[in-house]
Amino acid sequence: MKRPEKSLAFTFNGVRIEAIEGQTIAAALLASEINVLRKTRLKNEPRSIFCGIGICWDCVVTVNGVTNQRSCLIEVVEGMVVSS
Amino acid sequence: MIAIVGAGPAGLSAAVAAAKLGQQVILIDSSPRLGGQYWRHLPSNWGVGRPPYFAKAQELFDEVLSNPLITRFSNAHVWQAEKKAEQFNLYVVRNGVEEIVKAEKVILATGAYDRALPFPGWDLPGVMTAGAAQSMLKSHGVLVGKKFVIAGTGPFLLPVATGLAAAGAEVVGLYEANNPLRWILNLHGLILNPSKIREGIYFLKKLRSLGIKVHYGKEIQSAVSDGVLVDGKKIECDTVAIGSGFVPELSLAGILGAKLKVGADGTVVVDVDQNQQTSIPGLYAAGESTGIGGSSLAVLEGEIAGSTRKGKRLARWRAQVFATGLQRVYPVSNKWQSALTPQTILCRCEEVSLADIHGAIDELGAQDGRSAKLFTRAGMGLCQGRVCGRNVSEIVACHLSRDLTAEERINTAQRPLAAPISLGELGDGLEKNF
Repeated sequence: MKRPEKSLAFTFNGVRIEAIEGQTIAAALLASEINVLRKTRLKNEPRSIFCGIGICWDCVVTVNGVTNQRSCLIEVVEGMVVSS
Repeated sequence: MIAIVGAGPAGLSAAVAAAKLGQQVILIDSSPRLGGQYWRHLPSNWGVGRPPYFAKAQELFDEVLSNPLITRFSNAHVWQAEKKAEQFNLYVVRNGVEEIVKAEKVILATGAYDRALPFPGWDLPGVMTAGAAQSMLKSHGVLVGKKFVIAGTGPFLLPVATGLAAAGAEVVGLYEANNPLRWILNLHGLILNPSKIREGIYFLKKLRSLGIKVHYGKEIQSAVSDGVLVDGKKIECDTVAIGSGFVPELSLAGILGAKLKVGADGTVVVDVDQNQQTSIPGLYAAGESTGIGGSSLAVLEGEIAGSTRKGKRLARWRAQVFATGLQRVYPVSNKWQSALTPQTILCRCEEVSLADIHGAIDELGAQDGRSAKLFTRAGMGLCQGRVCGRNVSEIVACHLSRDLTAEERINTAQRPLAAPISLGELGDGLEKNF
């Protein structure tokens, strides 16, 4: 499969990540082999995507300062600042 | 005005059917792309052709996008709904702003999501639902791992396993908890739906040509960071895709007071009549929310809900017989509970373990899923119990050596808000009314 070019970039916990237009934050991170999207609040356990369709909220990150955003639903926008 | 919630197979066909009769339609969906969970596709910038099975989807996409009677709300979440006099008000949040959609008729086509059964290690990164692996591949062109184990039950595991392997992943095994030979006892479901037999043969051939081994009657015991345990034997893999059927999304139906019922396999669905109308006049439901039956049944139900056309009833009945067969061939028994250890997390959001739930029952006197939730917070997190609700209530009933009542099952399918919303979005007030 021929992939379109990675024409967008954002940062995840300070690291620059490139993405294809239309990809969600989670898709771009997993494509860059970043599997751990956050640590849990109580037991500090690593979590990644789980349902992938916005049901389970396991993949939540902070996007441009807004907390609890589902990275599997939000498409990457150039210059986005994502953290967890 | 007809408001349709969900732009998957049922919602799209309902929108097109209603618009053909000259009705004004608002089609509301949480995704930026049409198609829902089933008709997932790469964005147009990938320049890829559509597979043949996509013909129906493409036809409906084209009609929805070109018909001036259909207004599309994408990236929109219906978080609350009410019926006042003869009118429905849907409270929709779109791009951080709340709007009210007013309609005389509402069709709920809210679909379903994977049912995931817990086991030790299911909360590790690398373990995900089959739907998650599928959506990453089909919508974003991302293979989420290199070496996969697929496990659970149901025919949905077949396109997931073959799709991942065709895209270049190594699928080291598919573990199907049931045996499809059970179809022999449900032959009428297949005979009435010959296309399903063809589909089954297609996937069996595909599995063989891709070298994917299917193990029937087997379940995963646990997962670690580099593999899973089946029958005490470790199978190495970096990613596990799991799914044990589907859970219909019923929040809006419950909020609007529509009668819900429990299907033969314990799944809670919306009760509808011949026209797909719920117990609330003017409120219709179509697709997986009325019973898991696949996209062809969903399309038929959508057409009937959108147009109340009688001509499609026979075709719908045939597809429903197949759907009943699915419930009988791929049941989920309580056997999955034997894999759990006291430390296994059941509620992923609030990190509640099996020991916590047992403690709530044995020490605090919890008698059902609801009281266990109040004592432990299981099901009170961001997902509002969508992932753990049914599992926890089944565990509580099992621990108390009793069966779940229909009322308890229906309670776990209901939630006060259809989608979480921030107080800021609420506080900003309404932009405009539709």
